[in-house]
Amino acid sequence: MRLSKYVKFREEKFGGVLFETRSEKVFTLNAVAAAVVREINTGCDEDELVKRLKERYQDRDGSIERESRAFVADMRQKGLVQD
Amino acid sequence: MTGQAAIAAGKVLASESIRAESADLGAPLYVAWQVTNECNLACLHCIEESGPGKAFKDELGREQVFDILGQFMDQQIPYLSFSGGEPMVHPQFFDMVEYVCSRGAELKIETNGHFLTPENCARLKELGVKAVQVSLDGATRSTFNRMRVRGEFSTATDGIRNLRAAGVPIEINYSPTCFNVHEIGAAIDLAHELGAYSFYTGRTMYTGNAVKAWHKLALTEEQYVEFFDTLHRKTEEYRGRMRVHFHEMGLLEELRYRLHHPAALLIVLPNGLVKLINALPFICGDLRRQSLAEIWANFQRAWQDPRVAQFIDDLSDDPGKTSTLHQWVYV
Repeated sequence: MRLSKYVKFREEKFGGVLFETRSEKVFTLNAVAAAVVREINTGCDEDELVKRLKERYQDRDGSIERESRAFVADMRQKGLVQD
Repeated sequence: MTGQAAIAAGKVLASESIRAESADLGAPLYVAWQVTNECNLACLHCIEESGPGKAFKDELGREQVFDILGQFMDQQIPYLSFSGGEPMVHPQFFDMVEYVCSRGAELKIETNGHFLTPENCARLKELGVKAVQVSLDGATRSTFNRMRVRGEFSTATDGIRNLRAAGVPIEINYSPTCFNVHEIGAAIDLAHELGAYSFYTGRTMYTGNAVKAWHKLALTEEQYVEFFDTLHRKTEEYRGRMRVHFHEMGLLEELRYRLHHPAALLIVLPNGLVKLINALPFICGDLRRQSLAEIWANFQRAWQDPRVAQFIDDLSDDPGKTSTLHQWVYV
């Protein structure tokens, strides 16, 4: 999985921003969403991404997995990532 | 996890571009750089008063240009545009394009289309520009050539065809006047036929060259109503095939919004001065003497300067104040 061709990511104090430069839409990201994008930028697939984040955030109640998968699905639906 | 802001650009409204709000961001998201004021054309409505021999006397030199570009890339500005004047007449144009694209930022070129030879288009494709926006203010030679003094409709449309042949994404920009407004529908059709993926328009501003030529350009409100009706219709007609972007909002409304929600956008002039927004005369920095970080910090503060709010208030009483946008005020 990777960010789509015209999508740019930048870290910010609050998390990050995703900028879809073709449509000129900007998405502000919280810290967890920014961590998802950082993992996407390593080139890993969704399952590996979720595994890494669950470990990093000690996901005891499954909320990190749910949020991460929902966010990835949202990005796919918006055309921000490609498999 | 996400909150969306944003959208819209184009050169017609100076209030153009990225609506992501600037507070809390470490740097701008978009830099619109007018790389030179020199232009091969002398368009009736040009907001920058560009034209042959109109380069600023103090335009940035090569070393300054690349020092500034280096700062932009180091600060991870994801999106830049080069405009003018005519950016393609800048002596370092292709070197600048190559530098920005090689550092991973997206770059849009805003041009009058008169230098889009097959070779130049192939070079732009090779370097990886995000898009080239061509000004095409008419669907016929007679309206285009009337507006674009010294310009030639067929040169611009041939240039667009060359972009398409090279595989460069195309945007079209259209400034309405009383003598081309009836062609808006045909111009959108032509843009699609030429392979554009986006079409931008809005209200033409009373500033720059337009002040002198206003009696030849001005539309009535009735004409604008019909213009926007056509745009709404064409937006639907081309949905999924080409995006039709336009600002229906008047300049005053837009500026009042911006006063409280500044866009994450810096406008850089050919001499390195930085404007708050194109439609205001305020300068918030000088890239020849200040770092981008300093200017970005001042940008946030400058929007709070009472003179900015006062200027916008005054515009409601005197819309003609936009004719003073080139009389810079430092804030």
